[in-house]
Amino acid sequence: MVKHNLAAIENEISALPAPVIDEYKRSLNLFGESLEEQDKIAWAQEGLKIAQQAIRAWEAATEYFRASFEIYQIVPFPQFLIWARNGSNLSKESPSIGVSYFRSSPMSIPLIKHRNIETWASMGQNLYNGTWKSTTLASKFFESSPVFLQNLTIYELEMFVNVIATLAQKSYDLATECILLGQRSLPQLHSDREQFIKMLNSLADQNWREVKGCLEAIPRLPKQLNGKQRDHLFSFADRLAASGSNNVSQFLIEASQSLGLLNPEHQDRVFALAELLIVESIDSIPPFIKNTPIVLSKITIAQLEDWLQEGITTLKQNPEGGLSYFRIESSRSESVIESLSSILNLSSVQHIIELYSQALSGSDVQVESTAELASKGIGWAEERQPTTEGKTIYLPGNINRYHEKYKNFAWYKVLTTHQVSHLEFGSFNFDFEKDSILFENLRPTFSDTYRILTSENAESSQISNIESHSSPEDSIETSWITDMQRFFDLFHHRKLALDIFTAVEDGRLDHLVKVRYPGIRAPYRDVQEEALLERPPIEQMPLQQALIEILLRLSLDSGRVIPVPVMYTEEARVLGAIVQKVFNSDSTVEDSSEATIRIYQVISLMPNNQIPEEDWENQNLEGAEYTEEELQQLVSDLQNQSEGDSEPANEEYDSPQQVDYRGEFKPELGQLLSTLKDQDGASSEDATQQLSKEQIEEMLSKSVELQQPDQETGQMDPVGSFAENIMKEAGLDPAPDTPGQGQGRLSHHEEKGGPLFTKEPDTYVYDEWDFRADDYKPRWCIVREKMAGEGDAQFYSESLRNYSQMMLKIRRQFESLMPEMFRKVKRLEDGEDIDLDALIEAIIDRKAGQDPSNRIYWARNKVQRDVSVVFLLDMSASTAEAIDESKRAAEWDAPDDPVEYMIWLRSRRGEGGRRNYKRIIDIEKESMVLLTNALEVIGDTYGIYGFSGYGRENVEFYVIKDLKEQFGEQVKKRIDKIAPLHATRMGPAIRHAVSKLKTVDSRTKILFLISDGRPQDRGYSREGVEKEYAVHDTRMALLEARRESIVPFALTVDKAGHDYLKTMCQDMAYEVLEDISQLPQRLPYLYRRLTV
Amino acid sequence: MGSETQYKEHIIEEYTVDKEPYYVPVGDEISLFKAAYEEKMPILFKGPTGCGKTRFIEYMAYHLARPTTGGKKQSKSEKDSRIPLVTVACHEDLTASDLVGRYLLQGDETKWMDGPLTRAVKRGAICYLDEIVEARKDTTVIIHPLSDYRRILPVEKLGTVFEAAESFLLVISYNPGYQSALKDLKHSTRQRFIAMEFDYPPKDLEAEIIAHESGVDSVVAESLATFGEKVRNLKGSGLLEGVSTRLLVYAGRLIARGIPPRRACQVAVVWSITDDAEAQQSIQEVASSLFE
Repeated sequence: MVKHNLAAIENEISALPAPVIDEYKRSLNLFGESLEEQDKIAWAQEGLKIAQQAIRAWEAATEYFRASFEIYQIVPFPQFLIWARNGSNLSKESPSIGVSYFRSSPMSIPLIKHRNIETWASMGQNLYNGTWKSTTLASKFFESSPVFLQNLTIYELEMFVNVIATLAQKSYDLATECILLGQRSLPQLHSDREQFIKMLNSLADQNWREVKGCLEAIPRLPKQLNGKQRDHLFSFADRLAASGSNNVSQFLIEASQSLGLLNPEHQDRVFALAELLIVESIDSIPPFIKNTPIVLSKITIAQLEDWLQEGITTLKQNPEGGLSYFRIESSRSESVIESLSSILNLSSVQHIIELYSQALSGSDVQVESTAELASKGIGWAEERQPTTEGKTIYLPGNINRYHEKYKNFAWYKVLTTHQVSHLEFGSFNFDFEKDSILFENLRPTFSDTYRILTSENAESSQISNIESHSSPEDSIETSWITDMQRFFDLFHHRKLALDIFTAVEDGRLDHLVKVRYPGIRAPYRDVQEEALLERPPIEQMPLQQALIEILLRLSLDSGRVIPVPVMYTEEARVLGAIVQKVFNSDSTVEDSSEATIRIYQVISLMPNNQIPEEDWENQNLEGAEYTEEELQQLVSDLQNQSEGDSEPANEEYDSPQQVDYRGEFKPELGQLLSTLKDQDGASSEDATQQLSKEQIEEMLSKSVELQQPDQETGQMDPVGSFAENIMKEAGLDPAPDTPGQGQGRLSHHEEKGGPLFTKEPDTYVYDEWDFRADDYKPRWCIVREKMAGEGDAQFYSESLRNYSQMMLKIRRQFESLMPEMFRKVKRLEDGEDIDLDALIEAIIDRKAGQDPSNRIYWARNKVQRDVSVVFLLDMSASTAEAIDESKRAAEWDAPDDPVEYMIWLRSRRGEGGRRNYKRIIDIEKESMVLLTNALEVIGDTYGIYGFSGYGRENVEFYVIKDLKEQFGEQVKKRIDKIAPLHATRMGPAIRHAVSKLKTVDSRTKILFLISDGRPQDRGYSREGVEKEYAVHDTRMALLEARRESIVPFALTVDKAGHDYLKTMCQDMAYEVLEDISQLPQRLPYLYRRLTV
Repeated sequence: MGSETQYKEHIIEEYTVDKEPYYVPVGDEISLFKAAYEEKMPILFKGPTGCGKTRFIEYMAYHLARPTTGGKKQSKSEKDSRIPLVTVACHEDLTASDLVGRYLLQGDETKWMDGPLTRAVKRGAICYLDEIVEARKDTTVIIHPLSDYRRILPVEKLGTVFEAAESFLLVISYNPGYQSALKDLKHSTRQRFIAMEFDYPPKDLEAEIIAHESGVDSVVAESLATFGEKVRNLKGSGLLEGVSTRLLVYAGRLIARGIPPRRACQVAVVWSITDDAEAQQSIQEVASSLFE
C-alpha cells in the first residue's frame, strides 16, 4: 500500500474533491525545496490516508494540508509526523474532530512543547466515545485549545479535561458548556489555577452539578483577593467538595466576598483559623468564613480565635449547635462576641442610658441613635455627633474610641450628661423676656451696629431695624415662633452669634455639671483635656474664628495659657472675662444670651483677617474681669476703627471645629421642636398651634442650623421638606402616610435570614427555639398584635340561644364555684375563735392524763379566687374544615410558593362564603361565647386571642378580648369575626400570650391553647425535620410559660394529635377531643377543673 | 449599755413616745392633725413608703397632751399625760379577732383577751393601723362604728359595746402607689376619714433631715437629697416607687461610718429599690455621677 512515488500519490489525490487538491498544491508550493522528496511522500501519503478513512474525511485532509506548512515551520519533521498521525487517528474516529484538530493546530502547536503534542491530541481523544455529542465535545475542545494553552500548563489542561470527561459521563451539554465557561474564566486565575482545577476534580467526583457554578463564580471573585489567598480559598473549597458539600459554588462567592472586605493580613489569619476549624467540622467552614467580617466589626482579629475556640467547644458538645454558633444564629455566639468586644453598641446600653437621662432631667426623655435623627430630615445630618432636640437625646450608634468597654461606656456617659444638661439646666427654656441674673439686660435695646455698618443698603435696614424694635409686642405673636428665634433675629451675622452662643452655653452647662455632679468631674475633666488636645492651632485661624476658639478653650476649662493676637490683647481679656462670668453655678440660659450679645458686639466689629504667626503671644485669661464701661469703650473704639477702614478685606467667616463630646447644639431648632411637640400635647384651642407650614418655613429659611444629608443635596425645595418633616416629627401633620395598617403585609423574609428588627408599633420580636442547635435563634419572629375586626353581635346572642340548655347548666356549675372560696379551717394554733370540738377533745385528753393538742382554734380562710386566663385560639386556615368531614385530606399542606399559597388560601376562605355546614372555627367561636358568659359569672380575669400568620416575620396575634379589657358589645362583635386565616406558628403566639399574662398579678395563671392540629408554618413545619422543629419550639414556649408559673393546657381536636402532643406537652396537661362538637361543653368543664 | 436592761417592755396600750422624735414639718400637717384630734376626726395618711408617716404620728403622739380631767391630780408627770400610741401593722391574714380580742384557754376555762384595738379604745390611745389595705376587707369593716360620730366598738363575742375614751383617735395609713387595684380601700371605709397626703420632703428640707438623722455634713446630705430627687424622677418609667427618705438616711449613716459614698448608695438605695438589672445600673450611674 505504501506508495513510493509522489506522482502516484498525487494521482490518487486528484480523485478527491477540489478543496483538497487546492490545499495540497498550495502547500506543496510552499514547501518547495525545503522538504526532501522522501518526506514529501510521507507528508502527502499521510494526507491521502486521512482523506480515505471515511466518507467526509476529505474535509479533515483539506485542513491537514492547509495547516501543514505552518506546522512544519515550528516543529521538526519527526514531530511533524507525530502530529499528522495523531490527527489522522482522530479523523479516523470522526472526521469533524480531525477538522477541529487540524484547524486549531497552527494556533495551538506553538504553545505546546513538542513532546506534548501527543498528550494534547489524546486529551481530545479521551473526550470522544463514539456518540455524536461526544464529537461536538471533542471538537469544542480542540477549537478552544489555543486559549487554554495560552493560559494553562499542559498539566493543568489535562486535569481540566479530566473534569470535563467526568462531566461528560453525566451530561454532554453540561460538559460542553463547561469547556466554554472554562475558556472564559480559567484565564482569569493565576497561581491559584491548579488548586482550582484540583477542586473541580473533587467536585466532579462528588457533586458534578456544582462544577458549572464554580466556573461561573470565578468572574465574581473580588479583586481584593490575591492569588495566594484565592489558592487558600480554593483549597478549602476542594476539601469541602471532597466532603460532599453541595454548596461549594455558593461558598466560593460568599466566602470570597466576605474575605474581600478584610485586609490581607486578616485574610491570612482567617485561613489559619479555618485550618483549626476544618479539623473539627468541615461544615462550619462556610458560615465561619462568611461571617468573619460581621464578627470582626465587633471584635479584634486577636479575639477572633477566642470566639472560634468557643465555637469549637460548642461543636464538640453538639454539632448542630456549633453550626448555629458559626452562623451567628445562636444566643451563645452573640453573647461571646458581645463579651469579647470592646465596642459598645448603643442598643446594649440604650435602656440604661435612657433611665439615667430620665433620672437626671426629670423628664421623659428618650435615647436614640443619631443615625435615626439624620434620617428624619429635620435639619440634622451628622450621624456620629451627639445632640438633642429637647425631647430625645441622640447618641452615636456605637462607641469604639477606647480599647476597653468600660471606657467607651464612660464616654457615652459624658456625652449623655452633657446632652441632658441642656434639658436639666434649661437651654431650650430660653425666655426672651426673662431677666438675666448676672448681666444688665441688653436684649430689649440691642441693635446690631455691625448690620448698619456693613449692610449695602444701610438706610433700609436701619428702618427695618427700627421697626422691629419699635413695636416688639406686636411682633411677638406674628413673626416669631420661638424666643430663641427672636433672639437670633437680633443679629445680622447669625452664624457668628450662634457660634458665640454655643460656646458660652456649652461652657455654662459643663461648669454646672461639674459643680452639681462631683462624681463625674474626673472623667469629664479627662474628656475636656482630650478635647483641648484635639483643638487645631489657633494661630492659623483668621481673627474672628480665633477669638471664638479662645472662648471655646476657656469653656473647656483650659487652665493653661492661650495664644492671643498681640494687637487684640485687650479685646481678648474682656471677652474672656465676659464668658467666664457666665461659668457660675447660678447662671441661666438668659445669662448666656446676654454674654452672647456683648461678645458679638466686639467680635462682629473686628476684621476677620489672618494674623501673622509672630504676632501671637501667650496670655493667661483665667479669672479675667471687666466692667461694662470698659466694654462700651472697646465697642465704640472698634466702631470708629472700622468706620475709618474703607476696605475691611474680610475673609469669609468660618465656624471653628466642633467639640466632639458636646456634639451639635441647635438651639433654634430644638426650641422649635419642643414648642411644637408641647403644643401637640396641649389643648387644641391654643391659638399658637395654628402654625402654618409657611411660618415654619420662614423661620427655617433664616436659621443657620439646618443641615442636609449629603445624598439629598439635589432636592428642589430643601426648606419646604424640612418644614414638612419637622411638623411630622412634632406630630402636627396628620397626613395619612401609613396605608394598609391593620392587615398584615405579607412581606417575605428568607427563612435563612438573620435576626429581625422592628420599629413598628404593636410588633414584638421573640426568640425561637432550635432543638437541633439546642439554643435559641435570637430575634427570630415578629408578632404583630392587632385588634380583631368587629362583626355582628347577633352571633353571640344566637349562640346563647342555641345552647340555652347547656348554658344554664354551665352557669350553675360555675356559680357553685363561689362558695368554695370560703373555707373554715379547723384545728389551728391560733384563729378567730375556739373550735368547740377540738377544745372538748383537748380537755378530755388532759383529764385522761394525756398531752392535749393546742390546736383548738378555727379560722375562716378566705380563699380568694384570683385567676387570670388567656385563651389562645388557633385561627389557621385548617379550621375552615367542616366538622363532619372527618378525613383529614393531604391538601392541608399549604403550597410553599407565596403566590400559590395566597390563591389556595383565597379559595379556602371563599368556601366559607355560603356554607351550610359547621366548621371547626364555628365550634371554637361558640365555645368562646359560652365560656365568656360563664366567666363573667365568677369574675376571673380573662383574655381571648387568636393567632395565625404567614412566615416568621408575620405572626398575627388578634386581640378579641384583652386581659384587662371589660367585656362588652365590642367583644361580642369581635368574637363573630374569628375566622380561618393563614398558618399556625404556635411558639411566638404562646410567647406573646405569656408576656400578656406576665403583666397581671394573679395567684393562678392559665394559658389555654385551643388548636386543631400540629403547628405548621412556612419554614416551621415542613419536610421531616422541620415538623419536629415546630413541635419542639412550641414545647419550649410552653415550658417558658411554666417557668413564669403559668399553667399551660393544650386542647386539640386533631385526632392524630397524640403522637406529637406527647412530645409537645410531655408532662404538661393536654387533651385530645375525639369529637369536636363536644368542645362547647368540654371547655367550661376543663376550665373548672383547672382552676379549682 | 448596762448589762441589766437589754430591752424595755411596755404594755401595748401604755407605750408612749418619751423622747421627742425628730420631725420637720413640710406644710400645715401639725395644725391640721391637732385640729382633727380636737374634733375627734379619724385620719387617713396617704403617701409613699418611708416619707415620714410613722415618724409624724410618733411626733404627734409625743406632743399631744391628754386633755386633763379636772378632778385628777395635777402632779402627774409629763409622761402620764402623753397619749399612748398603739401601732398595728396590718397584713393579709389579720382577722377581726386579732384586732378586737379572743377567748384563750387558761387552765380549765377560757379567758377573754382584749385585742390591741379594744385596748386602745379603752385606754384612749392613738390607734395607728399601718398599711390598712393589706388587711382583709371583712376585717376593716369592724372599725366603721369607731370611725364615725358613734366612736363605739361592739364586741359581739362578749356581747359588749365599748365607748371610746375621750382621747382615743383612730389613724390609718396606706400607700396608694404600688398596691394593685384589688387592694384598694373600700369607699365606705375611706370616706370616714379625713385624708392627709404625705410626700417626700422638698430637696432642701430632705437634705436637712438627712444631715440630722445620719450625721453627714451638709454637702453629702445635699448630694444624697439630689440623688433622691433624681431617682424619684424614674418613678413610673423604671421604678414602681421612688427612693424613700428612710433609705437616703441609711445611705447617709453608712457614709458617716466611713463607707465610700458610691458603695453606700449601692447597698442602701440601688439594690434596695429594684431588682431590675438595667434600672440598677442606671441608678448606680447617677450615684457615680454625684459622688466621687
